[in-house]
Order: sequence, then C-alpha cells, then structure tokens
Amino acid sequence: MLHELGYTNLRVYQGGIADWLESGSPTESVTDTSPPEPEPNPDPRATVPIGPPLGAAPDGVVGRGPARLSRMGRLDKSVLDLVQQRSTLQLFMIWIGTILLSGTCFWLGALIGEHGLVEGGNPVGADFKGFVSALYFSFVTATSIGYGDIVPIGAGRVIAVIEAITALLIFGAVVAKFVSHRQEELVSEIHRVTFEERLDRVQTNLHMVLSELLSITAMCETHAPLNRITTRLESAIILFLGESRTTRDLLYQPRLMVEEGVLAAILATLASTMNVLAELLEQMPPEFSRTQTLTITLGRLTGLAQEICGECVPHTYTPRLIFWMDRIQATALRIK
Amino acid sequence: MSSQLTAAHSPDLPEISREELLRRLKDSSLTILDVLPQASYVEAHIPRAINIPLEQIQTRARELLPDFAAEIAVYCGQFT
Repeated sequence: MLHELGYTNLRVYQGGIADWLESGSPTESVTDTSPPEPEPNPDPRATVPIGPPLGAAPDGVVGRGPARLSRMGRLDKSVLDLVQQRSTLQLFMIWIGTILLSGTCFWLGALIGEHGLVEGGNPVGADFKGFVSALYFSFVTATSIGYGDIVPIGAGRVIAVIEAITALLIFGAVVAKFVSHRQEELVSEIHRVTFEERLDRVQTNLHMVLSELLSITAMCETHAPLNRITTRLESAIILFLGESRTTRDLLYQPRLMVEEGVLAAILATLASTMNVLAELLEQMPPEFSRTQTLTITLGRLTGLAQEICGECVPHTYTPRLIFWMDRIQATALRIK
Repeated sequence: MSSQLTAAHSPDLPEISREELLRRLKDSSLTILDVLPQASYVEAHIPRAINIPLEQIQTRARELLPDFAAEIAVYCGQFT
C-alpha cells in the first residue's frame, strides 16, 4: 500500500508491536489528552519549514537508495548534522581551539624534552617565548600559510599534518555556514512573498467565482439560452474546484503560518460561494441536464469539501474557523 | 484485520529485525511508522514512531512522510 504511493525504501518489522512488547523493549505512550502528534524529531532540520537548508547534507545523494546508504554515507550525514547544529561562532571557536590545542602540544613536547619544532637550526624551547613561537607556528600551519621560518621535526610533523587537515576542514565549515545562513534567509523570504501572493490570488479568484455564479443566477432568471449558461457554469466551477483544492492543501499542509483572519476570510468566501452554487443548482430550469464535465467537476468538488471539516483537518483550529469548515462541508452535501 | 494487514505488506518488501530497530532508535535517518489504530498508538508505541492508521495512509502519508526516498520501518500488530 505504502510502496504504491511511491515510497521506495520501506522495511517491514514483521514482529510488530506484539513482538516489541514481548521483548521488553522501551515503548512510549501518549499520556496527555491532546491528539497524538508525531514525536518531536531530534533532528532540528525537521522543523525547518522549507526543505533542507542549503548547507545541509546532500540528502538526494545519500538517501537515493539502500545501496547508497553505506556506512560512509551515514558518517557523512552525522558529521554534517553535527556542523548543522553549531552556530557560526561556535564553529569558529572550535577552529581557534584546535589551533591553541596544537600549539600547546608542541610546547608540551618541548617541555618533556621531545622537541617538535626547530627555528633557524635551534629547537624551540619550553619557556614563555617558546610557547608564543609554538602558537605562532600553529597559526601559520592551520591557515595553510606555512612560512617555513619554524619547521616541525619528528613527532611534531605528525601533529602538524593532523592539525593542518582538521583546521582546514573546520575553517571550510565556518565559511560554508556563514554563507548558507544568509542564503537560507533569502530563500525563506522568497517563499513567504510568493506564498502571500498565492493567498491573495485565492481570495481574488473565489470572489470572481462568486460574482460569476451570481450573474449566472441572473441569467437563469431572464431565461438565457441554456447552452450559454452551461458553458459559463462549467468554467466557473472548474476555477472554483482549483481554489478549493488550494484551500484544502492549505489546511492540511500549513507550510507557513497563515494569519487566522486571512484563513477565515478565505473559508468564509468559500462557504458563501458553495452556498450560492448549491442554490443555483437547485433552481436550475427543469430542462437543464448536467454535462459530463459538470458531473465530474461537481463530484470532485463535493469530495474535496468533505475533507474540509473541523474534525478531519489534521491540525486544530479555533472554533471560528471550524464553524466555516463545517458549513462548507454541510453545503457541499446539497450539491449532488 | 488480517486481510487489511496483508494488503499493507507486500511479500517482497525487505524486513527489519528487532535488533536493528533497537540499535537505530536514535538514528534520525530511519523513520518508524506505526500503522495501528490511534488507540493502540496512544497506549504504547516504539519510541519516535509516527502514527498513521492504515485507513488514513492514502490521505495522510504524503503530508507526514514527505520524503519518498527516506528509509521507513513499518510495523503493525503482528504480521502472520
């Protein structure tokens, strides 16, 4: 059933909850009275409203198929998740920390008599001047400058190589984080603007359908030719169906928070349009018969309207909105 | 009920063992899906599992599981 919907990477736990309980594995239960919501996902990206952030793991690549989800893929993902959860400043502090730690390592080496650094042929000492020199060398190495005035020898070389690789990677993460943060802001701003435009269009279109339906009602009263009425009714209802679908999607998948007032206005217009449509269909002249397009579109419309109700919508809305939803549902039943 | 369960599973779907599930409870790349009725979910479910009762899968799956490629572990009562 699920894989028919397009899910490609399904696995079945054959034992089910019975086996799970029998084995004494940990379970959770819902104790409060609110409807069970999906468990809070520990992955902060799940709460980001619009897709994965730009700096996130290339999910499309990692998760394309079971074969691609190798151990390396998971490692990549966990490292990237780790970077994702840190702020730019935190990452930068980690970078500085790495440099300071390596510098201290060189100095400690000198302290125990195992000189890792040489400056102009002389080993760097374990005194304060030596400590400053070690830090200086550490910075020069981490930033991949490598002047060469101080050079590592012996075990110092190992530390220097490890430091260079780590510091470079961390610095890369700092830069990427810094850049992607701004881009994320821009993308969400663009989404917000287009979303608001879409909402405006829904309202305008619904008003258009409403006035069109009213003028069709007037046409019926003046006994205009039936075929003209039918054509106009068809196009109006198709537009109405489209906007109803958008409203339904809005209620089922609120990608962005819609102000309650805006949502109430849309639902109210939808309800009154539905009402006018029901009245219009009831007072149609007896010789009027529904065309195939009309029947199909109206069927879809009623089906859609049945999904708009206070109880079936997955999110809880205020009574004010539920009133409109229930009204839409009730009116739609009259269109049959 | 059992005919419904058979409809939910296709025999060729790969399995996941209890051990692997236990091991990966904290692994966010694995989604755990409970297709039992809500009452059963309220009583007890595998930690982190999300609940979509079988009859609602058609309508709600896309909303709650937007990623088609995500690895999803499905379970119900007991598969017989």
